[in-house]
Amino acid sequence: MTASSLLHPRDMAQRLAEAEATIEALLSGQIDAVVDSKSQTPVLLSKAQEALRLSEERYRRIVETANEGIWALDENGHTTFVNGQMARMLGYSVEAMLGLPMRELVGAEDRERMELMVEKGRRGITVGGDSALLRKDGSNLWVRISTVPIADSTGAYVGSLSMVTDRTQQRAAEEALRRSEEQYRQIVENTTDGIVTIDRAGLIVFVNGRFAEMLGYQPHEIIGVSAFSLMSTGRRAAAMEAFKRHKFGLKGVVDSAFCHRNGIEVEVNIAGSPILDAAGNPIGSLAVVRDVTEQRKLQSQLMVSDRMASVGTLAAGVAHEINNPLAAVMANLDYITERLMSDAGTALLQMDSLPREQWLRQEIKPCLDDAREAAERVRFIVRDLKIFSRAPNEDACTPVNVKSIMESSLRMAWNEIRHRAVLVKSYGRVPDVNAIGARLGQVFLNLIVNAAQAMQEGHAEDNEIRISTRLDGDRVIVEVADNGPGMRPETVGRVFDAFFTTKPPGAGIGLGLAICQRIVTDLGGELTVASEVGKGTTFRVSLPAAGAEASELVVAPVTPQAVRRGRILIVDDEEAVLRVLRRIMSAEHEVVATLDAREALALCARGETFDLILCDLMMPRMSGMELYAELARVAPAQAERMIFVTGGAFTEKARLFLSDPPKEQIEKPFNIVNLRAITQRYLR
Amino acid sequence: MARILTPSEEVQLRLYVAGHAPNSVRAIANARSICDEHYTLGYGLEVVDLMMHPLRALADGIVVTPTLVRLSPQPTLRIIGNLSDRPQILLALGAGA
Repeated sequence: MTASSLLHPRDMAQRLAEAEATIEALLSGQIDAVVDSKSQTPVLLSKAQEALRLSEERYRRIVETANEGIWALDENGHTTFVNGQMARMLGYSVEAMLGLPMRELVGAEDRERMELMVEKGRRGITVGGDSALLRKDGSNLWVRISTVPIADSTGAYVGSLSMVTDRTQQRAAEEALRRSEEQYRQIVENTTDGIVTIDRAGLIVFVNGRFAEMLGYQPHEIIGVSAFSLMSTGRRAAAMEAFKRHKFGLKGVVDSAFCHRNGIEVEVNIAGSPILDAAGNPIGSLAVVRDVTEQRKLQSQLMVSDRMASVGTLAAGVAHEINNPLAAVMANLDYITERLMSDAGTALLQMDSLPREQWLRQEIKPCLDDAREAAERVRFIVRDLKIFSRAPNEDACTPVNVKSIMESSLRMAWNEIRHRAVLVKSYGRVPDVNAIGARLGQVFLNLIVNAAQAMQEGHAEDNEIRISTRLDGDRVIVEVADNGPGMRPETVGRVFDAFFTTKPPGAGIGLGLAICQRIVTDLGGELTVASEVGKGTTFRVSLPAAGAEASELVVAPVTPQAVRRGRILIVDDEEAVLRVLRRIMSAEHEVVATLDAREALALCARGETFDLILCDLMMPRMSGMELYAELARVAPAQAERMIFVTGGAFTEKARLFLSDPPKEQIEKPFNIVNLRAITQRYLR
Repeated sequence: MARILTPSEEVQLRLYVAGHAPNSVRAIANARSICDEHYTLGYGLEVVDLMMHPLRALADGIVVTPTLVRLSPQPTLRIIGNLSDRPQILLALGAGA
């Protein structure tokens, strides 16, 4: 027996207390060495053990202060350890979580995936991913889990250790971002405008559905395609040029046109803005593309109605203009009639030839001259009116003389001008411009009427409207300037806006200048304005020269050369016209006249030849065009001799016939001098 | 400040340590400090290094170091550890007085 067994119970109790204190001291690390009972030598507790204790302490602190949840599972998926953060995140106490199976802590939809993660862990694979854990209260906790398998010393799987990060806030941020992106996507996809982004090379990076639809494609079909290749050929060069000029960052609004997959042109309005990189260098362009095809159609309808309105407002003036010369014609004719019917007239007609001739020269001739001149004015007015009554786009651009068009417009507007201002014209020699005469006339008329209306009525001698033309490089400049009250800068900035007007309600709808600008722009020109309050306003039209020299009709002086007697065939279904033509021509030539083109054809077919065939264009049974076609077949030389007498009321077919190839024509009412001159050319 | 009462007898203490191991060094310092402060009438403190004199462990049946043994006054008292828990140490020594 050992001595201890002989110990007094009091000593025994003390020994037990000492043993307890020893264990406590051991656990709290206050012990350096243990005395080996056999050898009676103190065995120092190793430094490594101490270090281990310290490092364990350190790790324990890290684990407990970590923001991440730490979760250890055994090989069966039961919780063996959680840190405080893990328990807090799931709303448990640390103790309550120990032993809980993983299944109970994972949301139903993620259970399978988590089982798979454990299975992978079993095979030694480190896995991670986003998942939903189940809180104690049943709500979801969105987390990111990173799991490493734990193996024992033999390499067998004994469980896993996971780091769990709360993603609630991150998810909320992601969700907010996703919603915001979705919102923008909705806007981009549902807007009625096409949206396209291109890189510096002009290749399409992104398009919305609307843009693709506008051109008849699926979005994926045009991504990576050059945006310029989708443009209609006529507009491509200009668009590329604009793109380059803006250093690849398209800026501002431009008119252009794309080509639909089916080949139809889509008129668009492109609002571009550059896309910049972080350094502020343009890396491409964002363009909002609006289909304005419908708008353009509407605009051209408006242009017609606006022109009709201009014609309407000028109708009164025109009626006035016509009435004046007409009055002169009638008065002269009345006077002549009266004089001829008077006693003096009757007496004179019985006189010798000398006084009669004198009487005719002095009294009758001036009247007839006046009547002729007045009638001529009526003819001009009617011709001018015709210019303004043509529908838009029905004429192709042809080289036109700016001065002639301006003169027509001035005649139209004369009634507006003369009570308000003095007209000063200074025409420089300028080449023709490519334009549609009617539309350019509309522009000039608008500018003239605007200038005139800027002035108060009366005091015409103080006011001035200055019309000038000049050549500036290869551009023809036409200016319409007035010395009226001028405009304030804010007004100047808006004059070309549609529906902007300074006139009182009812006087104008504010489309005139907007349309003018469009017309001029369409012709490749520019319409600009300069104005100063108190000094006046100048509108400037700048148009590219057509390249040819002025086509102003230069009427060669009629040389009273010896007239060769020719043989002329006249075809016209209007008896009065036929009669007057025959009367004029038969004094100098042999004239054959017929009311029917078929008879004319029969004559030529029989071999009769004429130096000249004056033929009406529109006739009921056989038209001039049909006669031409027939003659070209049976007597081509005669077809070459045809001159068409036109009334101006053209059909599309007739217009085409006369212009392609161009054919000689005389307009009704005709001028005898012109008619003779033309006839002479064919007789030479 | 608590006073450890030591009526007539002499105070005799023995501290068993293991060389310069950290707790032993701390125990020596703590023992001196406590004694200087509380046994104002004088005391005897013998420090026994078991690394130098292993066999002396036998005398008082020492199992671990550091261990402080109060030899007198009676009864004999053992305090195990580095003596850093001063209030607990004073309580033990005072209770035994």
